[in-house]
This record gives sequence, C-alpha cells and structure tokens, in this order.
Amino acid sequence: MIEAVKYVLKENFSNVFRIYSIAKYQVLADMRDSKLGLFWNFANPVIQCLTYWFVFGLVFDRKAVDGITYIWWMLGGMVCWFFISPCITDGCNAIFKRINIITKMKFPVSVLPATVIFSKLFDHFCLMIILTILLALGGYYPSLHWFGLAYYCFCAIVFTISLSMTTSVLNMLARDVRKLILALMRLLLYMTPILWDIKRLPAILQRIMLTNPVYYIVEGYRDCFFYHKGFMYYKYSMTTFWIITIVLFVFGSTMMYKFKAKFVDFI
Amino acid sequence: MDSNIAIEARHASKIYELRGKQKGEQGQKFYALKDLNFSVQKGEVVGVLGTNGSGKSTISIILAGICDPDEGEIKVNGSQALIAINTGLNQQLTGMENIELKGALLGLTRSKIEKIKAGVIEFAEIGDFLYQPVKTYSSGMKSRLGFSINLCLDPEIMIVDEALSVGDKGFAQKCINKMKELRDEGKTIIFISHNLKQVRDFCDTAMWIEGGMLREYGDIDEVCDRYAQYVDYYNNLSGKDKKKERDRKFAKRIIKNSKQSFFDKLFAALKTR
Repeated sequence: MIEAVKYVLKENFSNVFRIYSIAKYQVLADMRDSKLGLFWNFANPVIQCLTYWFVFGLVFDRKAVDGITYIWWMLGGMVCWFFISPCITDGCNAIFKRINIITKMKFPVSVLPATVIFSKLFDHFCLMIILTILLALGGYYPSLHWFGLAYYCFCAIVFTISLSMTTSVLNMLARDVRKLILALMRLLLYMTPILWDIKRLPAILQRIMLTNPVYYIVEGYRDCFFYHKGFMYYKYSMTTFWIITIVLFVFGSTMMYKFKAKFVDFI
Repeated sequence: MDSNIAIEARHASKIYELRGKQKGEQGQKFYALKDLNFSVQKGEVVGVLGTNGSGKSTISIILAGICDPDEGEIKVNGSQALIAINTGLNQQLTGMENIELKGALLGLTRSKIEKIKAGVIEFAEIGDFLYQPVKTYSSGMKSRLGFSINLCLDPEIMIVDEALSVGDKGFAQKCINKMKELRDEGKTIIFISHNLKQVRDFCDTAMWIEGGMLREYGDIDEVCDRYAQYVDYYNNLSGKDKKKERDRKFAKRIIKNSKQSFFDKLFAALKTR
C-alpha cells in the first residue's frame, strides 16, 4: 500500500509540467468549442445562483444567517460548490475521457485526475474574481482573513483528487459509476448545508454533518469571507476531513497502482 | 538479462474475452497472443508481418508497455515508445499548440519541446497552417504533424505500427529515410506493416505472427518469401476453404470459460502482486 502511495505521488510530482500542459490546453480547447467561450464559464454559475436565490431567498424568504444577508451567505458557499461539483463529476470520467491516449502511448495514468482538477481551477479563479466584486458591493471587503482561502482551496484540490483517483478507476470497470455519481451529486448539494443553515438541524445531526468533508471546505470559505474564526475553531471537522481524505487517497492510489497496466483491457 | 538483448518474451500470452452470442450464454476467452517466445537484439530492426487479426497491434501495445501480458512475461530493456500518429491531437487547438500539448503528453520537458519545435515544423511541412486549428487540416496533414512530433522523441526502442500507410508516397519515403537515420544510430525498431516491399527494404529480420502465434522469426528474405507464399495460397482458396482455414485458426485460440463480472475483475486485479 505504501508502495502504491509512493508510486502515485512520484508519478504526479515528476509530471508537473505534463499536468499543467494538459490542464491548460483542456481549458483552451473547451473555450474554443463555443463562440462565446469564456462567457459560459461565468454565465452558468451566475444563472444557477440566481435560481437558488430566487427559490430560497425570495420565495421561501430565508432570514439572514448569522446576521449575514442570505444572498451573500449563499454565494460564499456556492462559489466553493461550483468548484467541487464539476471536479467530482468530471474527475470520475478522467481516465475514460483520455482512452485514446492511454491505449496508444505509455502514459502515467495516475496524473489524469489531477489534470481535470487543475483545469477546473481556472474556472474557480474566474468565479472568485466576480465574487470579490459582488461581496464588495455587499460591504464585505477583502481582508487578511481571505488568505485562508488558499488553504481551503488546497483542501478542495486534495480532496477531489483523492476522490477522483478511486472513482475514475471504478468508472473504467463499469461506466455505471459515473451515472451513479451524477445522480448522487444533487443529493450531496442538498445534504450539505450550502443552501441552508446547519443550525436548523437537531444537535446530533449537526455533529454528524461536521464530518462531511464538503461541508468543512464550504464552511472554511465562509469563515474566510464572513466569520473570521480561524482554522482552529473547526478542529473537529478538520481532523475528520484529513482522515477521510487520506483514506481516500491511499485507497485511490492502491487502485491506480493495481490497475495501471490493465486499463486497456477494460474498454 | 543479457545486456545485448532489447526485448525478450517468454511464454507470453494475451487473453481477451468474448461475449456469448446470446444473453446468458457462457462467454469465452480468446488468445490474442499465444505462447510467444523470442528475443530481439539491441539495434535490430524487426519487421512484424501477419494477416489481419493475427495479433500484431496487440504485440505493439504490449511492447510499448501500455498493457501487460496475461501469462508469461515480456521484458523490455530500455525506454520504448509507440509511434501513435493521431492520438493526442486536439481538433480545436492550432498546430503550434498541438505540438506543445503532444510534446507534454509524451513527457517532454518545456525546454526540450522548444528545442524540437523547429524540427517538427520543418519535417511536417504544414507551413502557414501552423496557426490554424487542426480541425481545418486535411487527414494527410494531421498525420504528418503527429508523426513528426513522435519522431522527435528519442527512445531506445521504437515501435511503429502501420504508421506509414497514411500520407502520400513522398512523405512516406521521407519518414523511411528518417527512420533509416535512427536505425543507423543503433536504435531498435519494431516495424509493423502490411507493405512487404517497405519491410524488405527497411528491416534486418522479420517476425511472422499468424493466428496469435509466432510462426516464424528469422532472416528477412526467407520469412518474407514464405509469408508472401502463404498470402497467395490463402487468397487462392475458395470461399469455403478460406472459412475453414479461419475457423481452424480461431479454434486454436479459444478457451472455454465463464464470463467475469464487475467484482471478479476488481478482485482479480487486486490479487495480482
């Protein structure tokens, strides 16, 4: 197992330029695919945000959360979800999408999840810029606390790569895995306190919810934007997050390692 | 392993699965390659011959290290690369960007890509199309671009699978000349082709694979002659006899077995090593 982790880490770190190039040209090719290109990277999340804001903010008339107007509070969490969600769904497809490459050349397959996540990172940065402007309109200006975002972004990257390691290999064995994950994503969105406040849950469920790794990242983003409580305030979530992530990573790398020369047979 | 040997195969087999004709019927296993034994010297240029479906491409991906044989082993001594022409080219990107992308896919460093760029552009002869998206290229141009990038790799063992059957004669000749240069530098080359004339012209030895099994491996002219004879013999058979011959070859490659489920696949892979 340790051998597998070492192998995957080595393969990823010795191929940084390869990961960067694949991610860069993936973004570029996606942009050239449509006439408006980059515009859709922004339009999609904006429209989704408007939908949720209309339903929850206007129709259900959600009250301000912790003294923060619902729309700003929601945006602070959603920006993170818009990064994690495509990472999980596309990460699952990471190997299958590159089938024509891995069957035709000797290729370090374990870097593929990372390439997907880094290509999504570009969209995330674009969204962050827009969000900064929006939050400034709401009176939340960038401050020193925002540096914490770098840490939480790193958490999101490590978590989604670890998860994609596993799901992308399973997806090669049976394509149903991707279908399942697509279906589960909606569930995950509503199961995670992104659109609603965790305090609406009974205490015991709150405790369980704190172990949700996605919630840790979302809450971390919100902490940087609004609460400013610092990393240590979330130490319970933090511990469970890193335990889950490391377990996923070890499991994912073991799968990657065992299957590395067998992908061709699974097409 | 002897340091003069580039590739050594011992009882190597590759097995594929066939689905049953009807639902519920037991699936079968099929030897794509069966019990191969051979060794290739360093600096040797081997032509691989064989009729369609006899396992030539399977051997190329095993030699390239893309997949492992299911039984036995194939040892490869040195870095190897499969010349894959159209893979890794992105339709939306320009020729220039594709050079950078494919270079990176093949594992070249940034400085190495900068270094080979001029050579690739020169060799591919795509001229002003360099800054056009690849989707506007003709198929010949695409393969020229892909092939040129591949040639700039510097592997010790090169595997060329039907790479020259695209593009016009002039370009094919140019590629042959370039590969001859590489051959003279002492590289080991595995050349898979249906073009007997090219094989005779280019290779030192020939390997004839028929029905997944190694039929002959030896001097280029002898093997080529006998292969040509066999092809003629096969073509002169009547339709019925041809089918008989095919069935005979197929029967040798089959193993009866039950179909593997998702979990069987998972556990089979986890058990290895």
